[in-house]
Amino acid sequence: MAYDIRLPRLGWDMEEGAFAGWLKADGDWVDAGEMLFNVEGDKALQEMEALDSGFLRILPNCPPQGDKVAVGTLLGFLVPKEEMDGFCFPGVESLVIAASVHEEPAPVAVSEAPVATHASGNDASARVHISPYAKRLAEDLGVDWRRLAGSGLRGRIMAKDVQEATAQLKPASSATFLASPQSNARPVSIPRTAPVAPGVEYRSAMSTVRRKTAEHMSQSAHTVAPVTLTTEVDATETVRLRETLKKQDAGQGLPLPSYNDILAKICAQALMDFPTLNARLEGDEIVQFSSAHIALAVDTERGLLTPILRDVQAKSLRQVARESSGLIEKARGGQIGYDDLQGATFTITNLGMFEIDAFTPIIDLPQCAILGVGRILAKQVVVDFEKGEVALRQCATLSLTFDHRLNDGAGAARFLQRIKRYIENPFLWLVGI
Amino acid sequence: MREMTFTDAAREGLTEEMERDPLIFVVGEGIGARGGNFNTTVGLYERFGEWRLRDTPISERGFTGLCIGAAVLGARPVVDFMFLDFELDALGDIINQASRLSWMSNGQVKVPLVLRGGVGIAATGPHHSSSLYSFFMHLPGLHVVAPVFPADAKGLLKTALRCNDPVIFLEHKKVMKIKGNVPEGELSIPFGKANVVRPGKDLTIVGISYMVVEALNAAEALEKQGISVEVIDPRTLAPLDLETILESLSKTHRLLIVDEDFSPCGAGAEIAARVMEQGFYELDAPVRRLNGPFAPAPYSPPLEAVAVPNAQAIVRAAQMLLAE
Repeated sequence: MAYDIRLPRLGWDMEEGAFAGWLKADGDWVDAGEMLFNVEGDKALQEMEALDSGFLRILPNCPPQGDKVAVGTLLGFLVPKEEMDGFCFPGVESLVIAASVHEEPAPVAVSEAPVATHASGNDASARVHISPYAKRLAEDLGVDWRRLAGSGLRGRIMAKDVQEATAQLKPASSATFLASPQSNARPVSIPRTAPVAPGVEYRSAMSTVRRKTAEHMSQSAHTVAPVTLTTEVDATETVRLRETLKKQDAGQGLPLPSYNDILAKICAQALMDFPTLNARLEGDEIVQFSSAHIALAVDTERGLLTPILRDVQAKSLRQVARESSGLIEKARGGQIGYDDLQGATFTITNLGMFEIDAFTPIIDLPQCAILGVGRILAKQVVVDFEKGEVALRQCATLSLTFDHRLNDGAGAARFLQRIKRYIENPFLWLVGI
Repeated sequence: MREMTFTDAAREGLTEEMERDPLIFVVGEGIGARGGNFNTTVGLYERFGEWRLRDTPISERGFTGLCIGAAVLGARPVVDFMFLDFELDALGDIINQASRLSWMSNGQVKVPLVLRGGVGIAATGPHHSSSLYSFFMHLPGLHVVAPVFPADAKGLLKTALRCNDPVIFLEHKKVMKIKGNVPEGELSIPFGKANVVRPGKDLTIVGISYMVVEALNAAEALEKQGISVEVIDPRTLAPLDLETILESLSKTHRLLIVDEDFSPCGAGAEIAARVMEQGFYELDAPVRRLNGPFAPAPYSPPLEAVAVPNAQAIVRAAQMLLAE
């Protein structure tokens, strides 16, 4: 039996991806595990490996490189050696091409049997009946509905059959994701940053990253009840901690923790102290997590990406520093994988390098809070009002946006206060409060 | 809030509007001192006099034509046909003149006319039971209003009386005595806004006119079987609020339309077709319709009991649809 090659779902909410080209030619022998084709998903480029072995037969009307294609779209087949002789493409497959502006692909001569005349003997009797909604659902969820047993009248597949099948899918059955070593064939369009000539409008298609960011942000803006709290923190001790590490490690090649790494560690501790901030809303239930998976907002030429540091509460600062530098490098190089972008419970976004002090970050759903970090600036601060004592301190402003649906002002304020306390007294997160 | 019947609420709306606008008058058989066959105008003759409550001979085509002329000249006539069946005698002028003059004059001529009549099967036999919803839905230029609850009757009749185009205002004989809360004071309900009268998640039932009441009874019974039914009252059939139906469908993915009127080219056919066009990928089962038999209304009570969809029939249809 020939194996289907379909556009996989690379993230839980991915609905379509840009088909980014074959890595093998039509007719090539492919071993299971070899890299087969590229997909540009919501925010990342992925090389997909072959899940089976066989001769690659690319569908004559396979979408051209760069086309947006619905998840589950058939791209081709892997044909076992013994079937290669008699192989012909099965009858009309519904090929869904979203937003395609390409001309019809030129008809490709297909071995012996032309597509149109093909009808294998029992095709008609094997027709699977499925409701339009169930079919849409299956395609959205990447379920192969042709293999489902329907519970409706005369075996028709209903939405609940698809939902039950999804519930049984193990996460391990999803495709393996590997970072792409090459980044030249990326179909991304980036709006120009050069000045636009007078009297001219410059239009460009939204890149997938831009589009996804737009969707997430507007969904958040229309769903969340956001409140932003700001507070000024004295970061002198934290700056000193980092300077000490810098001196001590000099020349040893160890990764120096960035302020973001230190903040990730601090936030993880504070999230453990205040689990209502390490939570999300699912339907009308609040789900709290035992681990702090912290996303760092990273500005890349492809747009905003948020790679995730996992289980930060259980890792040493050094370990966090090592992982984050690797992740940020991958994000900037366009090699970040889906697994690195999914499942954060909290986000840190830092605009300090642009001389920003306070701002109102937007929550990345389904998370319930995000911490905005401003620049660290030396200031003259009253340290003892009674004695009239003034000192120079390293200060920064923190902006915490939280979702008022899950947390109240006082609870979020206590959380922010705890972060402030840890920054001002870094030894406290060693000792605990 | 006060509790009042459908007819009393509609009459209150009419009275308020007649007090507000001296150009509103009512024409029809027995609507003067007698107060209307269905009590639509009880007490108004004493209040507004015979100039504004004009009893007519049995001459539908004549007095409808007169009213269309009066409307063109700026009055706001209400033609009370008693039974909608009698409106058929005046259809020529309603379709050719009332519904089209605005289009023919590039909007310079308006025909603010309300045509009201009782519809539905209520021991009334073949000549007095027509509903004909889709007759009027089919014609550009007409608004078709079919309220079920007293507050809607008042609010929609007031909107009809302020509308600058002809409005077909249909009152099912079985809803006329239904009681319900009606807010004090000014009440206006826009055309084209359906009402979700019962929220649910497994199945959507759109009821046409009185069938909303039977659908609510069926939903009650289905609830006991663990089936959650959403019931929608479109309130106006033209314009039709498809958006509310599609929104419901995106939650339930199953749609049943219940209409005691004939099924071919009926209101349900129109809704089903538009749902297919705009909501196909929300459908987890074919759209189903439940209608009366394709035959004129019987007079015999046992036959009528079979001919008109009731809660039991709706329960059965819902169960079948859910099993598909």
